[in-house]
Amino acid sequence: MLKPKHILFPLVMIMLFAFPVVRPPLFFLTLCFSVFMFVGLSESWNLLGGYTGYVSLGHIAFFSTGAYTTAVFMNRFGISPFITAILGGVFSAVLAALVGYPVLRLKGAYFTISSLLLAVVMQLIFMNWDFVGSSTGLWYKLLPVSIEVNRILFYEAMLIVATAITLVVRYVERSKFGAGLVAIREDEDVAKTMGINTPWLKMKAFILGAFLAGVVGGIYGYYMSYVHPEVTFSMNTSLLILLMSFFGGCRSWSGPLLGAVVLSLANQLIVTFIGAEISRILYGLLLVVVIIFMPDGVMQYAKGLFVREKR
Amino acid sequence: MLEGIKVTRRFGGLMALTNLDFTVEQGQIVGLIGPNGSGKTTLFNVITGFYPADSGKIIFKGKEITRCKPYEIARLGIARTFQIVRPLLGLSALDNVTTAVLYGREQIAGMAKGRERAAELLAYVRLDDKKDVPAQRLVAAERKRLELARALALKPEFLLLDEVFSGLNDTEIQDAIKLIFRIRDDLGVTIFLIEHVMKAVMGTCEKIFVIQYGVKLAEGKPEEVSRDPAVIEAYLGKKRTC
Repeated sequence: MLKPKHILFPLVMIMLFAFPVVRPPLFFLTLCFSVFMFVGLSESWNLLGGYTGYVSLGHIAFFSTGAYTTAVFMNRFGISPFITAILGGVFSAVLAALVGYPVLRLKGAYFTISSLLLAVVMQLIFMNWDFVGSSTGLWYKLLPVSIEVNRILFYEAMLIVATAITLVVRYVERSKFGAGLVAIREDEDVAKTMGINTPWLKMKAFILGAFLAGVVGGIYGYYMSYVHPEVTFSMNTSLLILLMSFFGGCRSWSGPLLGAVVLSLANQLIVTFIGAEISRILYGLLLVVVIIFMPDGVMQYAKGLFVREKR
Repeated sequence: MLEGIKVTRRFGGLMALTNLDFTVEQGQIVGLIGPNGSGKTTLFNVITGFYPADSGKIIFKGKEITRCKPYEIARLGIARTFQIVRPLLGLSALDNVTTAVLYGREQIAGMAKGRERAAELLAYVRLDDKKDVPAQRLVAAERKRLELARALALKPEFLLLDEVFSGLNDTEIQDAIKLIFRIRDDLGVTIFLIEHVMKAVMGTCEKIFVIQYGVKLAEGKPEEVSRDPAVIEAYLGKKRTC
């Protein structure tokens, strides 16, 4: 049976891929790029944060690892940014494996605080590490193409990455792996009695999430053409990722997708037309409102309204 | 089938279990009773690896499991229910059991097959009409049956039941007793249960262990145990002679 979604999904994808053909102003491509980036980040964050409920504030560390990997490998070895993006993912995954072993033993607020510390400590290290440019940051060598082609190229690359990540997360959600992760969120002890190797499952989700965030970071880094610890490790980004997932609803893959699209567009509009400082205040308020009134996210909230009306 | 040798567990200075010996033979239904705080649930937690024993050994089918992790013990075929039932509240009854089926010992691969098997198990505990209801909306008796279905999803050889009868009314207790016999007879599962409802214990168990302050007080057939002066004293206190 052909359902509307079978037509809608390819149609939207084709439109998104073809968007640069109409030669939109560069501003729109940049805007879309940042939307895709946040889709990729929120979805990859959701693997651990949403399904198992281990809320991490350190996701930005993996993203930055990806960005720096691209910078270093391009500048020193002249490797294409698309290959270094994968490498960035691998480095992030290794980092996650090393950090995850001790940190994933902690629960609740303790886990959240240590994941936050991961980002803070890494930022300090990168600020003082000359090999990666320390506090002056790193410039990237630009690809030998015009700025328009460059933007289009990276628009498409980030679109592919974001789509792939969303599909991976969706696949995980519907698999045995996803069912196990949800069991951990609901009751970790009960999950153990079901025969679930909970430490290993959390580790897998953490590593996969880190890998995906690293790839996003790798592409972002080159796109920005400059990395600096203050920017890439920004606490703000970690909070945004979390807010987007919570806003959309972190129990399903569609939540972070919706949250990332709506909030990064809103963010851009507020920053452009009102001011960056105001946007932070609004974001803080929004997080409070969402957590109090829609703990399962707007997606579930809207479904709830719909069901109530039907009865 | 399951044997404990001088099992000891301390919580700080408190001896929760002291040199406890016990055996459960294959195919038996064995009861574990004792006053509140006597260490019954602690013993279950020690067997399932949640609180590793400080000393002593636990042997399951000839293999020592004293140091195994909870999930390893589950995979060896020891399933348990919790005293205060712990369904995965956010999930439907079917999803609760499906997850357990997928990670259980039946090696069922694929969501669709897992759901099918889970639906069968829910039918087995007569909860099939509630399979799409969120676990949150089930009443106590239903939650207990759900917990039982989830434990059975593992395809266990050994089942630890922690007070499955408590809080049920008389008819529900009769149903539950029948269900326990069916689990033993149809599925060949050996059962070790903690119980306060004496009617249920007397009606199901072939052998009963009584513990108090973490020490074994008595062991034997239900009628023997219920006449044992030490047991009567533990529950009711000493008879005054003057």
